[in-house]
Amino acid sequence: MRLTLAGQRIELLPEGAAWWPARETLLVADLHLGKDQVFRRHGLAVPSSVLDGELERLDRLLTARPARELIVLGDLVHAPPEPGEAWPDAIGEWRRQHDRLEIGVVIGNHDRALAVQLERWSVSNLGDRHECDGLVLVHETSLERPEPGLSGHVHPVAGIRSGPEYVRLPVFARRDDHLILPAFGRFTGGHDLGKHPDWQCLAAAGHRVIALG
Amino acid sequence: MSHPAEGYLEAIGAEPQPFQREAWSAWADGQSGLIHAPTGTGKTLAVWGGPLADAVDRPPRGLAWLWITPLRALAVDTARSLDAPLEAMKLGWRVGLRTGDTSTAARRKLRDAPPPAMVTTPESLSLMLSYADADRRLGRLRGVIVDEWHELLGSKRGALLELALARLRALNPGLKIWGLSATLGNLDEAMEALLGPGRPGRLIAGDLRRDIEVETLLPPTVERFPQAGRTGLVQLPGVVEAVARAGSTLMFTNTRSQAELWFRGLESVVPWPERIALHHGSIDRQSRLEAETGLREGKLRCVVATSSLDLGVDFSPVEQVIQIGSPKGIARLMQRAGRSGHGPGRKARLICVPTHALEMLEIAAARRKMAAGEVESRLPLEGCLDVIAQHLVTVALGSGFREDSMRAEIGRTRVGRSLSPAQWQWLLDFITRGGPALKAYPDFRRVERDDDGVYRVHDRRIARMHRMSVGTITADASLEVRVKGGARLGHIEERFLTRLKTGEAFIFAGRALKLERIRDLTAWVRPAGSNKASVPRWAGGRLPLSTLLAGSMLDLLADFESTRGLPDDAGTIIPLLDEQKRRSALPGPGRLVAERVKSREGAHLYLFPFAGRLAHEGLAALLAWRIGQRQPRTFSLTVNDYGIELVSQDEVALTVATLREMLSPENLLEDVLAALNASEMARHRFRDIARIAGLVFQGYPGRQKAARQVQASSGLIFDVLSEHDPANPLLDQARREVLEAELEFSRLSDCLRALADRELIITEPGRLTPLAFPLWADRLRGQLSSEKFADRVERMLARLEQEPRRSTARSA
Repeated sequence: MRLTLAGQRIELLPEGAAWWPARETLLVADLHLGKDQVFRRHGLAVPSSVLDGELERLDRLLTARPARELIVLGDLVHAPPEPGEAWPDAIGEWRRQHDRLEIGVVIGNHDRALAVQLERWSVSNLGDRHECDGLVLVHETSLERPEPGLSGHVHPVAGIRSGPEYVRLPVFARRDDHLILPAFGRFTGGHDLGKHPDWQCLAAAGHRVIALG
Repeated sequence: MSHPAEGYLEAIGAEPQPFQREAWSAWADGQSGLIHAPTGTGKTLAVWGGPLADAVDRPPRGLAWLWITPLRALAVDTARSLDAPLEAMKLGWRVGLRTGDTSTAARRKLRDAPPPAMVTTPESLSLMLSYADADRRLGRLRGVIVDEWHELLGSKRGALLELALARLRALNPGLKIWGLSATLGNLDEAMEALLGPGRPGRLIAGDLRRDIEVETLLPPTVERFPQAGRTGLVQLPGVVEAVARAGSTLMFTNTRSQAELWFRGLESVVPWPERIALHHGSIDRQSRLEAETGLREGKLRCVVATSSLDLGVDFSPVEQVIQIGSPKGIARLMQRAGRSGHGPGRKARLICVPTHALEMLEIAAARRKMAAGEVESRLPLEGCLDVIAQHLVTVALGSGFREDSMRAEIGRTRVGRSLSPAQWQWLLDFITRGGPALKAYPDFRRVERDDDGVYRVHDRRIARMHRMSVGTITADASLEVRVKGGARLGHIEERFLTRLKTGEAFIFAGRALKLERIRDLTAWVRPAGSNKASVPRWAGGRLPLSTLLAGSMLDLLADFESTRGLPDDAGTIIPLLDEQKRRSALPGPGRLVAERVKSREGAHLYLFPFAGRLAHEGLAALLAWRIGQRQPRTFSLTVNDYGIELVSQDEVALTVATLREMLSPENLLEDVLAALNASEMARHRFRDIARIAGLVFQGYPGRQKAARQVQASSGLIFDVLSEHDPANPLLDQARREVLEAELEFSRLSDCLRALADRELIITEPGRLTPLAFPLWADRLRGQLSSEKFADRVERMLARLEQEPRRSTARSA
């Protein structure tokens, strides 16, 4: 599905990412990498293949759509690594396999104190707010007065009912010239935007993106 | 020499009963066992007499006796009743109290200077085991008494207690363990679960012939047809009269929503609204305590309650018990009746209030079984990996454990005896490294196996989190309800509250409220003016009719068929049964009746196996799926305790032979799993398992922020494990629990096997029969707004009422 934000054409991908053809840029939000590790750190048994799964999904996305640049709209990680933990190396290894890709991160609330890691992963720090061809890229937007641009943070989901069946799906949320991306990470919760009728929800379902009524 | 407890009884003007003497001497002989008797017959003193005598002979130093109560709300009253003989005997000490409500300072005092006896809950006992000095503090226990064991039996809390008791027995092999229980159909098994399989025990029966006077309140006008879903408020005048006649009444309903409705009903009618109160599990503790005190002191005329008052507390002044609606089971009804008429020479008095016509039959069936002294069984749980995992971490955190001895110890409990070597290995892997695959859970550390071979917890953060999680076994995620700027009203399950929209009205704690906002586990509300409020529906409403009671109903139907007679209190529904028989057929122990009716809504298929609503849910889904395999159809399904309804747009071709095939017990498990969205249900069920096994951490209300980093819904964990660790046995446990707990799978399977031998009749009555009507009405309820529903039911009723008159006219 395609839409136009402040004159810029943006394509919504069913994987939960956005494609900006004019800049050959892929946009994702809220990966929360390393969240499984944070859980294990606290004695909660969540398997580490969660991280591998997220990186594989990024791989598939980049294979299908060779991009010049990948921009993460905040919350690349769930929490900074602790000394001795191996998962940052897994990310570093993945990065080496994509060494020609530019990667930038708009800093989100979970990305604090990450400077050393970003450098290690050769990821540019785009600060809290990154302006680009008339669009503002931030982690968190105002739900009442969004500026033209893209963001993440909300992890928007919406419920879909069909007969007795009910499912909750991650969605893109649009209002005027602003688009909120769904959380790309699978091991993340969601926030139901049903109570914000001003935002139009576009569900990332299977192989399509569908506008919800 | 007379027993010290005897002296106490004499002092209060009572006589020791034979079963009490029996218990005292069994205790003196060092035996363990189970005492079963109705409430209010002196069970407490029967079991407490042992420690009393012991305390005189060998004055205890340090903690010697533990008294476990299933509800922390009961602890205060229990302590009081245990203190009474201590004071009379001038022993110079009192029992201590340690529950989730005990302050930190008081706990510290209990640790530093432990009293000889302490009242506590299964969770608090678990917590005591999690401290490093547990062995020393609990190793000198002489005896443990488990009150209301029947309430814990069959639940995960009961399973947790079995494990804790096994620990205490390991610390002191001479430990005496005694249980108190209401009458159950499987007392031997109940005792075995308490003492551990293979250990000798003494089963002592109290005075079982306690008279219960039972009466059924017949409705003022005999409704022509039964209706499900009605609150039965048509019975309000009769109930008010009964309440006014007695000095004090305890009124039981089956659900909290019913309690709310009846409380509001009573309150608006009686001349003394200030002398009635509401009591259910979601009401704020302070208000509940006030209701209990008011009842005990005789200040209140009536308390409307749910199972929240099923247990414990002796309300001596209660003259009568009123049961609103279906009793669901015989044990439960007897237990409730037993809450009245305490004291020498007084009788328990029970008034059953049917809320629809078929409940009259249900009540008559229950009375018959009560008279025959038959009650239901309660089966202990086996192999709960979540509970065992939690217990292992608890012990590792406390004194630590060695693999072999712990394995043997758990094997000596009912919950752990069938654990396979593979399951045991998984449990050890799960708590030490997250799972069996070496690389799957890097840096995971919960329990560590030290060089000396002892399993211990070293990480203080993990220790703190585990202690906070112990004791959340029953806690369904609930939100505190608070009025803006003030009072705390109680707790409501998240599931209900999150369905409400901001500003929507609901009835809770006897008031109409409006939801303002939900934040940090608190739902902020303000009083709502309107009366158009929905009543929260709590999970408790799904309790199915017991197999014993359902069977007794079928027996009554068979009796009616052969003799045309029914017990007096059910006589009013004879015309209804005649109608059922004339239009279709009466179900019975040897006969399954199916009915087919066509209406504007489509083709209806009814079936009346009387297997209880949970088994019926599975059966309805199974039948719809099996029919759908041959003739693609979309069905809407409805169930109640008596039967099921399937509605489809187009008619289904069905003969007796094909219907029999559809009801075959073969491939049952596979078909039920295929028919139901079993994985979605298991995902929901996983909530408890994840919490108990320590896969999610909830933290405490108000301290959410500290734990935010590790907040994840159990559903999300379920998804993650399903994708990344599909062999995790906890997932399998969730699936099995769904089948058993939510669909009563074994009962469904028994039911289908029994159906194979029953006569099967398919009738075409042309219109809804008295048995079909409640199902029809229930389904519509889910589709239409409450107002339209009422109108529509009234119209339908009017039509059904007229019809027989017309036929009378024709025949005249």
